[in-house]
Amino acid sequence: MVRKVKELYAYRDMVRSLVRRELRGRYKGSVLGFLWTYINPLCQVVVYSAVFSVIFRVQIEKFYLYLIIGMMPWTFFNTCVQGGTTCVRAQAEMVKKIAFPREVIPISYVTSAFVNMLFSFAIVFLAVLVSGFGFRWEAMLYLPLVMLLEYLLALGIALALSAATVYFRDMEQIVSVLMMAWIYVTPIMYTVDYVPEQYRRLIMLNPMTPIVEMFHQILYYRIEPTGPYLALAGTYSCAAFLAGALVFMVLERNFAEEM
Amino acid sequence: MEKDALALSQDIAIDVDNVRKRFRSYQDKAASLKERFISPSRTRHRDVTVLDGISFQVRRGEAVGLIGKNGCGKSTTLKLLTRILYPNEGRVTVNGRVSSLIELGAGFHPDMTGRENIYTNASIFGLTRKEISKRMDAIIRFSELEGFIDSPVRTYSSGMYMRLAFAVAINVDADVLLVDEILAVGDAAFQRKCFERLKEIKGNGTTIVIVSHSMEQMYKICDRLIWIEDGAIREEGTPKFIGEAYLAAMEGRRLDRIEFEEQQQKAELEKRIREEQERLRKEQEEQHRKEAQEQEERRRRDAARAQKEENDRKRREELAEMKRRQKELERNETLKTVSPFCRPGSRRGGNGQCLISKIQVLDDGGQAVQVIETGAKYVIEVILENPNRLKEVVLAVGFTREDGVYCYGTYTNVHEHKGKPEGAPIRFRFENQFLNGKYLLDFWVQSPEKVIYDEILGLMLLESKSADTKQRGIFNMWHEWE
Repeated sequence: MVRKVKELYAYRDMVRSLVRRELRGRYKGSVLGFLWTYINPLCQVVVYSAVFSVIFRVQIEKFYLYLIIGMMPWTFFNTCVQGGTTCVRAQAEMVKKIAFPREVIPISYVTSAFVNMLFSFAIVFLAVLVSGFGFRWEAMLYLPLVMLLEYLLALGIALALSAATVYFRDMEQIVSVLMMAWIYVTPIMYTVDYVPEQYRRLIMLNPMTPIVEMFHQILYYRIEPTGPYLALAGTYSCAAFLAGALVFMVLERNFAEEM
Repeated sequence: MEKDALALSQDIAIDVDNVRKRFRSYQDKAASLKERFISPSRTRHRDVTVLDGISFQVRRGEAVGLIGKNGCGKSTTLKLLTRILYPNEGRVTVNGRVSSLIELGAGFHPDMTGRENIYTNASIFGLTRKEISKRMDAIIRFSELEGFIDSPVRTYSSGMYMRLAFAVAINVDADVLLVDEILAVGDAAFQRKCFERLKEIKGNGTTIVIVSHSMEQMYKICDRLIWIEDGAIREEGTPKFIGEAYLAAMEGRRLDRIEFEEQQQKAELEKRIREEQERLRKEQEEQHRKEAQEQEERRRRDAARAQKEENDRKRREELAEMKRRQKELERNETLKTVSPFCRPGSRRGGNGQCLISKIQVLDDGGQAVQVIETGAKYVIEVILENPNRLKEVVLAVGFTREDGVYCYGTYTNVHEHKGKPEGAPIRFRFENQFLNGKYLLDFWVQSPEKVIYDEILGLMLLESKSADTKQRGIFNMWHEWE
């Protein structure tokens, strides 16, 4: 384990290079370039807020703000899970030919998505300002921690899925179906209060629930994250990360052969 | 003892100990869930042993070449050394940083510049940013791409691309360098340069394991050659010695192969010739058969056509005959109007340009008769119908005895009835000189050139009666007994 960490540290610049490549390479050659990082989630927010506030008449104050705050972390998570599933396969040529710690691939992928989320938080902050809600700075101190927890959760899942997909290609399709459903069991388009009492425990089993809720607490309700959520998110994230790392370590040995 | 091992291990850069490597060769890799559920047996696979107990060691700073025919396990060995693959059995130990020149240009992004790609590519080989920056100049210099290094690599030619890739790979300082058949990059000058650089690296004390099919390169750079055959080491030793043996074996194999191939080709040719001949023969047979068939068909067709023509001709003739016959009957029919005494067997002919419309045989008293007496005088009145106003018409009359003996006939001169008004009868007066007998009357209307306009044969039967029973024969001859 220690050796692994050391090895990964030695390859930190590979992670940095790949993240740079991912971020800079993605929009190279497109007219709007980096702006797409903002346009994409923004459009999503516009559509959802139109649908939910006009048609469903959701009774949430400043619904667009509530939606944006939940949507940005979700976009990051969704990207990590769906893209993370295929990221190792996508680099098959490299994996088959070159020796490097394979964890670098999912780590780079999740990290580049994470950087994207950081950029997209500009929109979130802007929305907070526009809404006139303002910031509560004591709460804001928790923001990096919550982001880190989400990063760990996403990375753990990406590690496990990217390794599993090498052996089992259906994973990609299964995951895409799963993600479609997952967004609706996460309090992004509704508040937890909307959930009937008997299902509330159930929705807490969703590891994204405490994370999205804490984003809401910090930026929407302007309170410090509550203890139960912090504990829950910490448990989920650490468990997902450790499990993912373990699965990856077990499966990575035969990557080159399976691909 | 342990110290020895340690000393040894410090001197040893690579230790491959009794390594076995098997690959699963799937008949048909069932990678999706459905297939695995539906037919678990389909995931059946065959284990292919690629390396079957290989052991060798490489000392620090030594350059070792792996040779062997394709598929013998050279590249697999290299991949085991880089830890891309892991052995099923045995142990692979490599001391120090490994750099492999197996894949060139890994992680290159076409839209990023040469310089940016150097960072990416080198970082994949495990270099840190600092290390890369330190080597940057050397890499660019080596690639000879100074003028293009800040352009996106998609604008590079493939040669430039490979030069950049190689420049990065060969400038990654490593303790162990693994080279797989990549000295065929770029033009001849660049190849030489790569090769010189490789020798330089070796001079710096880097351990090198190289896979190449170029014996020349192997001889120049390697201290030792390992000849792998069918997943096992066949021989190892000084490059020249092993190389010669290998080449000899390959040559032998090549010759065997050539002979084998030639034999196969010969067999193949013979087979093809046989097949071709057979085909030709069959084609000819077929051709003949077809031709015969065609001939037969043509013959049948011709016969059928002739038959048809014959039939048609006959039918036409029959039709014509029938028409003629019909016309004749029609014309015969008209005879009833010509004379009330018209006999059933009478016939009519001629072209019809001038017709007889009425015939009467009258006695002295002007009575129509059928019985005439010998020695009495009679007149035959014939009325002509001359619609075409023919000027020259000849009328002939004839007597034929019942049994077909033609007895008497005469005709008018052209002038005799010229100028007669239309419808006026032409009269033929005669004195009956026939004795007893029955006579058929025949009439003709014709041109002076004997073109028959109308012809009536056997119109009526005149019975001649003689009062003098002493005379016999046909005629009443004037006679006198003395």
